[in-house]
Amino acid sequence: MKVDVGDVSAIPGVRRIENFPKEAMNAAAMELTHAVYPHGEVYGRYCTLEEHIECPPEEVFRYLADVRTLAEWTYSLRDFEPPDARGVVCFRDKIGGETLIYTRVVANREAMAVDYHCAWDQGERLWMIYLMRVVPAELVLDRPGSVVLWTNCKHPYYDANPFPERAPAGRKVWVGDLWPFFYAGHHIELQNLKLILEHRHAHGLPVLPEAAA
Amino acid sequence: MTAVSLLGTASYLPARVVDNDFFGLDVESNGGAMFRGSRHRHHVADDETAVSMIERAAARLGERLGAGAVHGVDLILTNVTCPDLPFTGCGASVARALGAHPRVVVDLHNAGCVSFVYMMKLASVLIRAGEGTSALLCNVQNLAGRVFRHPGNRTRPQSAVPGDGCGVGLVAASAASPIEAIVVHAFGEHADDMQIVSDDGEPWWAPRATPMHVDFSETRVGAIVARGNRLVPEVVTEACRAAGLPLAAIDVLVTNQPNPTFLRNWREALQVPKDAHVDTFEDHGNLFGAALPIGIERAVDTGRLRPGDHLVLGGFAHAGDYAASAVVHWYPAA
Repeated sequence: MKVDVGDVSAIPGVRRIENFPKEAMNAAAMELTHAVYPHGEVYGRYCTLEEHIECPPEEVFRYLADVRTLAEWTYSLRDFEPPDARGVVCFRDKIGGETLIYTRVVANREAMAVDYHCAWDQGERLWMIYLMRVVPAELVLDRPGSVVLWTNCKHPYYDANPFPERAPAGRKVWVGDLWPFFYAGHHIELQNLKLILEHRHAHGLPVLPEAAA
Repeated sequence: MTAVSLLGTASYLPARVVDNDFFGLDVESNGGAMFRGSRHRHHVADDETAVSMIERAAARLGERLGAGAVHGVDLILTNVTCPDLPFTGCGASVARALGAHPRVVVDLHNAGCVSFVYMMKLASVLIRAGEGTSALLCNVQNLAGRVFRHPGNRTRPQSAVPGDGCGVGLVAASAASPIEAIVVHAFGEHADDMQIVSDDGEPWWAPRATPMHVDFSETRVGAIVARGNRLVPEVVTEACRAAGLPLAAIDVLVTNQPNPTFLRNWREALQVPKDAHVDTFEDHGNLFGAALPIGIERAVDTGRLRPGDHLVLGGFAHAGDYAASAVVHWYPAA
């Protein structure tokens, strides 16, 4: 059965060449293009980073999809424990002192998407989602290696800890207090990822540490 | 409306110069980005008072503008980071030292690093209200030598940041070098993000074994940095708009000097070239409120600020509880 969904140009606000001439489009583009953008405007609601890595995309995907590698390339996730029945792994996030961070990897090999579903202090509601995608650089940059895209969305829990009773005693910092530094922190971690993978790839080492055993 | 002008500024820097080695730490790495970038700073001598610093800066202002212009002021406003006496301001003592007979003295205890603009605002209001025709504005920063060089503080990363100095300025009913706009804001919601603490937990006024130092709430550092990055470009933009001055027409920008990262970010946000933004941090550290009058003097002395230029002042205080900016169409007194 074919359903008539109507003319999309008739939906208020939709601008297409049929109802929004090129002159108007140019004027809008001019107005929307600033010389500089405040940090909060660029990284306030979503925090997206991207980097080229001189390492084949399949290898980068395999590395990211193995949750244990978070103890290598992240700044402060350490001391992981084996996954529970739901596949949730518990690390210590040393940026929060004795804070525990629970993580489950949701990966799709075909799309080369690796999402980390995480949360501080408790593993029932994994609301800190790190969305990562590996793209063959041959396709998008006409060069070998991989492009890694990484996005975080500012969940309302970043503004206020919904489970304060689960925090280690005496901890002052909340992960959301760090949101203004997410770009900076994730930039440094993405550089770690790049340096580790490029080092291993360039030296013919296995990308996963224990694969050598 | 009576025209009010900023006629000039002058500085006094204590003789004692302290380099980074004094702090016994690697400022480049240990202190983190908040504390990088200075090579020297001045520390007040043990017997040096806020009043004596103002007296010396005022003498230099007198050399520039005429001693009579300084001694004849009928308004004196001061802001001192570490007052000579716990609960009296020093304005009356300054009047005595200068032989001045002001009608109004205000010893401001707020607006910290941007208190020079705040005092410009108050002086303008008082002059227009008929309370006087000229005002001496005095900023003294003396926390470095009095608090941060203490053996109990010396190796804290924050202790390398402040530098001492005094800046004074003369504001008068005059159309010679007009203040074209002043904008001041107070943000009560940011007032509690900076605290003065002591390792033994005692309040600063209590007898105790350990010195006081500054505590920026650990949980709020990210927010404070983001706030500082935003507040100054916003308030400068607002003042320029009020003055009808496009940002591209800013000839010289003088801001407070918290650290090189803030200075870079403010320039980037306002698209002000590096050589149009006065930078005294490397030589003097964070001069707190004295940075503005001292920075203006440096712009004059280096030939960067020329007659007819649009001089823009801006800054924020503490953890963002005040922000202010002013636009001056600069014509120095001959």
